Amino acid sequence: MSMTKKLGAGFGLALSVTMMSGAAYAQDCTTKIGAVLPTSVDWGRPIAETAQFAVDQVNAAGGAAGCQIEMVLRDTQVDPKVGVDAAKALVDLEGVNVLLGAVSSGVSMPILTSVTVPGGVMQMSCCSSSTAFTTLAEEGKTNGLWFRTFATTGVQSAVGAKVAQDKGYKTIAVLYKNDDWGQDMARQIAADFAAVGVEVTTSVAINDGQPSYRAEVTEALSTQPEALYLALYPAEGTAAVREWISLGGTQNMIMANALKSDEFRDNVGLQYLGNALGTDTASPRADSADAFRAAYVERFESEPNGPGLANSYDATMIALLAMEAAGKDASGAEIAAAVARVTDPDGTAVSADTAGFTSAKEILAGGGTVMFQGATGNVRFDGNGDVSAPAVVWSFSESGIEEVEFLSLDDVDAFIASLQ
Amino acid sequence: MIGVISYLVFFATTASILAIAVLGLNLQWGNTGLFNGGVVAFFGAGAYGTLILGGTPQAGHLGGYGLFYPLALLGGMAIAGLVAWIVGLLTLRLRHDYLAIATFGVAVAFENLMRNAEWLAGGAKGVRGFERPLRDALGDGFTYNIFFFLVVLVILIATYLFLERLVASPFGRLLRAIREDEEAAQSLGKNPARVRLMAFITGSVILGLAGGLYGTFYAFVSPQDVLPTLTFQIWAMLIVGGAGNNRGAIFGAFLIWGAWTASGWALSRFAPIEAQLYTGSVQFILIGSVIVGMLMWRPHGLLPERLVVSQRGKTPSA
Repeated sequence: MSMTKKLGAGFGLALSVTMMSGAAYAQDCTTKIGAVLPTSVDWGRPIAETAQFAVDQVNAAGGAAGCQIEMVLRDTQVDPKVGVDAAKALVDLEGVNVLLGAVSSGVSMPILTSVTVPGGVMQMSCCSSSTAFTTLAEEGKTNGLWFRTFATTGVQSAVGAKVAQDKGYKTIAVLYKNDDWGQDMARQIAADFAAVGVEVTTSVAINDGQPSYRAEVTEALSTQPEALYLALYPAEGTAAVREWISLGGTQNMIMANALKSDEFRDNVGLQYLGNALGTDTASPRADSADAFRAAYVERFESEPNGPGLANSYDATMIALLAMEAAGKDASGAEIAAAVARVTDPDGTAVSADTAGFTSAKEILAGGGTVMFQGATGNVRFDGNGDVSAPAVVWSFSESGIEEVEFLSLDDVDAFIASLQ
Repeated sequence: MIGVISYLVFFATTASILAIAVLGLNLQWGNTGLFNGGVVAFFGAGAYGTLILGGTPQAGHLGGYGLFYPLALLGGMAIAGLVAWIVGLLTLRLRHDYLAIATFGVAVAFENLMRNAEWLAGGAKGVRGFERPLRDALGDGFTYNIFFFLVVLVILIATYLFLERLVASPFGRLLRAIREDEEAAQSLGKNPARVRLMAFITGSVILGLAGGLYGTFYAFVSPQDVLPTLTFQIWAMLIVGGAGNNRGAIFGAFLIWGAWTASGWALSRFAPIEAQLYTGSVQFILIGSVIVGMLMWRPHGLLPERLVVSQRGKTPSA
């Protein structure tokens, strides 16, 4: 790229930022936030788009903490080295106090231990699920700077067990994605199935990118389970389920939220998914969740059905609300401390859109607290930066994804307690 | 300003660690002609070994021996050497592409072992809970990063000097002789199999050293750190820098890692806003093009190997 082109591109960027701010309020300052997300991976790009979407909404409400927000996005390539370097560059060169990301736990963790905690930067991940973060926080090594909007696997797995119990399945086989999320899911779901008296006949790991999963599927099939539990992503999930069904496996299936995708439904075929029930953490029964859906559909012309989109949106919104609550020129630690003020269960409810952000600004300016009602629910962090959430049981239908049952936060907590 | 320096120190630390790894590969490929396609297995063995030996106890898997740090690092290197010894015994009779495929298989097996054997190294969650040495005394911030960089730099220089001595020695000549014509070396009464194994193990111990430092720097290692991408990156550094030339190996590491990170930074800063989402993919294209271009126009690298005629009584410079 020639120098003039670089300058031109830089100028264009500066111009577009200026024009955006001009459209809202006459502000002349810009605060940068960092995002390290795997944009070179197919499912990572929509997650980044959704984060930018939240930033745009906040900028339309006049920005946060008195300034327009610019999200500087860096690709992790799902490579820990690259992700850590990108995070370090954002913190040192761009001076960000808030970092969104990463997606993979194997990337988020070294960023946390070697960049954000030493640098006093708040890190908010949409999608990292490893239980290692909870342990790290319990040891007091995250300094309260770590948050994630991805409900721990505990909620999913408990609701999965509830579905099996309600359906009266006696035996079940588990296929899980062979990464930290899948391994956690497999371990927890086995414990939860045992607690409700469902026998796990076998638990088979599914590795990414294999041309065929015949061996794995045959292994699961040979145990003759009444039902199948799937903790898989759409790509390998499609391949594995196709082979499962073509080999005569049962169509009684329970799916974790990662399979909540139109692509999976279309590629497997709806006629085979009649008895398939999915679980997910749910939106609250509030107008704000509908507002998010409506705004998302209007912006992207599709339903927010991909993995991690709602989580990414909430992560971004909460981070920006916390920046607003912490005020101008707040440090990362101050912003992290302010998260409690914007996710306060006793606070005033605010919706997940521009209007919600505007009203939150007024309440926070008056010294009040707000309860952010986001795309994944009334997000509430515990002391380790983890979230619990209401849950939903869903199934596939002609038009997309249909809700079967809703479990409120209290229902979920009560059921989890009954499993202990 | 302090931010720029802080970042440069961080960058130089990563680049220096990678440079040590490239030096290890250079001994194997550049000097001895062993096509090691499983760089990450030895790098990973060093990283996992160091963290398991030197870390705090973790529930559910091996570890928590809390060894004095230099011992843990040496232990990591020893584990890498042990893996190399076993792999070498099994595969070094293979030549060229066959060796590459066999070692590549070893690396994939290593990654899968780490991903699945939760009792060994935590499975996909990886190994954490490692306390970086002297952290209590130096804190967690900039001072520590400078200190750690200096340590890595000293180790890099020591490795470089060691390898320079090694390749200039009669043993180094023997390595090149085997690389050029194994049968000729054998006809002079040398034992190529043994020498190949020694070079393979030495190079792998250096790769393990780099891995140990890498694990220490991040205080964390997971199967995601030992994906085949890393093998590819280290090979790219060696090819661009110049195989057979230790200075080229170091130069290549800094250059490729610099290009890798700078292209990401430049794209995030200068690419038009609507293209921001695609910069990750653009970066792959850019880096791939650089390597293809190098192979087409400078196949011997930026600092090619200097061929020397060894003469009695004069110190050869390699």
